Amino acid sequence: MAVDAKKLKKDLAKIVGKEHVFTDRPTSLAYAKDTMPWDVEERNMPHAVVRPINSNEISLILRYANEKKIPVHIHGSGTSLVGLGRPKTNCIVLDTGRMKTLEVFPERGYFEVGPGYHIGKLRKALAPYNALLPAFPGSELVATIGGFVSVNTSAHAVDAALFKPGDYVLGMEVVLPTGEILQTGTESTRKPAGIEVTKFFVGSEGLWCVITRLRMRLIPLPILKYIVAYYKRTDDILDTVMAMYKQGIPTPMFFEYLDEKSSKIGFEAVGLKAPPGAVAMMAIHSSTQVGCDEKAKNFLEFLEVGNPIEAKIVTDKKEWDQIWSSRAEAGNYIYRLGSTFGSEITVRTDKLKEAFHEARDIILNLDSYKGNEFFSFGHIGAPTIHAYAFIPTKDIPNQVKIAIAREVREKTEDLNIKYGGCGGEWGLTAQRVPFLKKKYGQAYYDLLVNLKKTLDPNNILNRGNLEGWM
Amino acid sequence: MDVSQKEGAKETLLEEIAKCRGCRFCVDVCPTYQASEGVESMSAYGRLQIIKYLLRGTLIFDDALAYLLYSCLQCRRCEVTCKSKGQNLDICEIIQLGRYLLSRNLVEGSRSERI
Repeated sequence: MAVDAKKLKKDLAKIVGKEHVFTDRPTSLAYAKDTMPWDVEERNMPHAVVRPINSNEISLILRYANEKKIPVHIHGSGTSLVGLGRPKTNCIVLDTGRMKTLEVFPERGYFEVGPGYHIGKLRKALAPYNALLPAFPGSELVATIGGFVSVNTSAHAVDAALFKPGDYVLGMEVVLPTGEILQTGTESTRKPAGIEVTKFFVGSEGLWCVITRLRMRLIPLPILKYIVAYYKRTDDILDTVMAMYKQGIPTPMFFEYLDEKSSKIGFEAVGLKAPPGAVAMMAIHSSTQVGCDEKAKNFLEFLEVGNPIEAKIVTDKKEWDQIWSSRAEAGNYIYRLGSTFGSEITVRTDKLKEAFHEARDIILNLDSYKGNEFFSFGHIGAPTIHAYAFIPTKDIPNQVKIAIAREVREKTEDLNIKYGGCGGEWGLTAQRVPFLKKKYGQAYYDLLVNLKKTLDPNNILNRGNLEGWM
Repeated sequence: MDVSQKEGAKETLLEEIAKCRGCRFCVDVCPTYQASEGVESMSAYGRLQIIKYLLRGTLIFDDALAYLLYSCLQCRRCEVTCKSKGQNLDICEIIQLGRYLLSRNLVEGSRSERI
């Protein structure tokens, strides 16, 4: 449907003010480009970018979009790793970046925040209240809390230790796709049981609603103690994780690893001597120092199960910062050397090792590209396997990039199916819709489509993500 | 990069921009992004993508593109972040070269820089 850009701008300006509407092509392009490695195409280009300040403006935008049958794509910061951030069709991009209010109510045990607040800044803002923000994405410098709760990802945190961020959401203000504004949940720290729609909107990936305000619990910061363990092989770390769950050992808040090759790159990136093999790094948490000391000591003893070359509690903060940074920097520096195509495999804990070996075989035997390398690192204690195909060049044609990404995703998703997992830390729609159908069946997918139709009869919000468009 | 030596070096420019991982860590440190309350095209990452798609032919030179390139303060805060995250792009140099293409366009009257 042809859209009159001038009229669209004029109409949207009546709602949000002309300084908050953009129809110029360069700005549209900047909002169309997300982290996906392939190029933006004309079908991805927004007609307009609109930047509302509150739920009333969003309600009016959505009512207008329904009347004109123009899709609306929600933009947090565009850091999704499965393409949620890229508009799949020409649309209005609704940027939540101006919605950055924050009110902290220590006497009530919660804070209320606008969806556009960046996670790194929110963590700093909550620090004076001794509060833990249960959100640890690698993109925290720019990722928004609205996007984070929309996907409901644990990111670095181990689910069994900290649960999902949505478990800390007490209530929300949302705008439905047809423009109705809803208040959900409670102002008590006692969350309602039974049918209460907060949990329905948490993790809904922008398909059911636009989140305009979040009420989240203030959680006391735990005491942390850090452990690093050096291993000959990644397999030893996998054995350790499997034993941790089998023996019912309390899981650390973070349990990260670098495989044999990634550890060398990561350690050298932060100025440390390359380790002899794979490295695991853990943060043990407890509400008291005594408890934390005891827990860390016990965990250190438990680690003997994996025959580490060395395992130790790290008390020097600078040393720990370097070791911890090596995990993040490994990914950055590997990318610097070429191109990477990632996956997320979250299988049954008793099948972790088998799945890891199969993932490595898949990555090293791609049909879409020959001669790539295999790297892995990430949240193994969760357990998540991030298996990466690495190609030592940036010069890869767009279609080949798409083919590699598809092959890596589809084949590693088959591992999630084979070994009882789902993946999903990066979100379950957009590129992962074929997986949903394969894993759960057509009836499951139809249920999602019917829910979408009920809430969004004109398919206005994030059109293309539930359809699985690239 | 010396701008005077970059005549016809658009391929080099695309190669430089291809080094960007798309992590967007440079976005929030950009003073023009902050001053605009978070408009993506007013960030370092946004400007890199705008230059890339100018060279790809998706965008042409227009007033909006000129404004977005010339509003960069060349403060290099984005480069400090980029370097700390392992990519180490010369973002301000790339934007300068984008400006050079723009000024040449004003002389020659061409609107496209498509390769």
